[in-house]
Amino acid sequence: MASAAIGSHTMIDALRGRACFARPRTVPTVQMTTDDTDAEAELLQRYGAGDATAARLLSTRVLPRIYAHAFRVLGDRAEAEDVAQDAMMRLWRVAPEWRKGEAKVTTWLYRVTANLCTDRLRKRRYSPLEDVAEPIDPSPSAAAQLQNAARTDALQQALQALPDRQRQAVVLRHIEGLANPEIAAILDVGVEAVESLTARGKRALRTALKDQHAALGYEGE
Amino acid sequence: MSDDDLGTLFDKARAQSPKVPADLMQRVMRDAARVQQAGQTGAGWRGWVALLGGARGVSGLITATCVGFWIGVAPPQALPDFGALILGQATADSAEEDISLFGWDIEEG
Repeated sequence: MASAAIGSHTMIDALRGRACFARPRTVPTVQMTTDDTDAEAELLQRYGAGDATAARLLSTRVLPRIYAHAFRVLGDRAEAEDVAQDAMMRLWRVAPEWRKGEAKVTTWLYRVTANLCTDRLRKRRYSPLEDVAEPIDPSPSAAAQLQNAARTDALQQALQALPDRQRQAVVLRHIEGLANPEIAAILDVGVEAVESLTARGKRALRTALKDQHAALGYEGE
Repeated sequence: MSDDDLGTLFDKARAQSPKVPADLMQRVMRDAARVQQAGQTGAGWRGWVALLGGARGVSGLITATCVGFWIGVAPPQALPDFGALILGQATADSAEEDISLFGWDIEEG
């Protein structure tokens, strides 16, 4: 289960994207339940020990997830790329000190990514909805493609209107599919707070998308 | 909008997850290689530490070195002063002391 305690200011600074880099032992731990997690930690240790191929294998597993998260939270491809690259750079740097079993690589990465996104959002003075990117990988038919694009666009725009923490919680829970304890560790809040954030986020999304219900093609489905 | 509709939207968003641009993957790989190469020095001294038995081995080695150095600087009286013996400075003194300590006077009665 997640422990919300953070061991040091060093870790907080590192997760917030500041001067230093996190030591894995201070990351709130989330109980590992899958072999995948072990595989990611093992790949990281192999990279830290000098195995060049481990970096590509590990990136293939984790980079799509943190890039997608950054994109959904920031709504901007270029910024999402910068954040994902930055988060991965921090992972490479902590690799030699990574202790297998004490932290989950994906939780650590999501946490770094979430904080880097928060820092970027704080620096923004406004949220330019026109920067929201077009959806990728459309459905087979042109009509369905347009419909899906409109729906995903609408969801992305509605997500952008949510407060930062709500958006992060909703994305992690309902799109990334993470469990509440892991989200609690990533956002550094309690599980109850995650439940509250996601509930309020969903309510706000329903309200924001209500007017577009017919336009999005839900009538008659 | 119902919960189901919102759930459908989430499902579609998950299915249309943005793909990682090829150049981003290349940049990440370049970073990984650069950090790994820069860390070779670190891996080197870490390798030496591991070879010497880890932190415990290194701390023992440091302690032994310090003790040895101190014994060299200020040897206990019970130990022969090898430095002096080698340099030939205190040979006569040592011999005199030995003679007096072996108890010639006791043997003579």
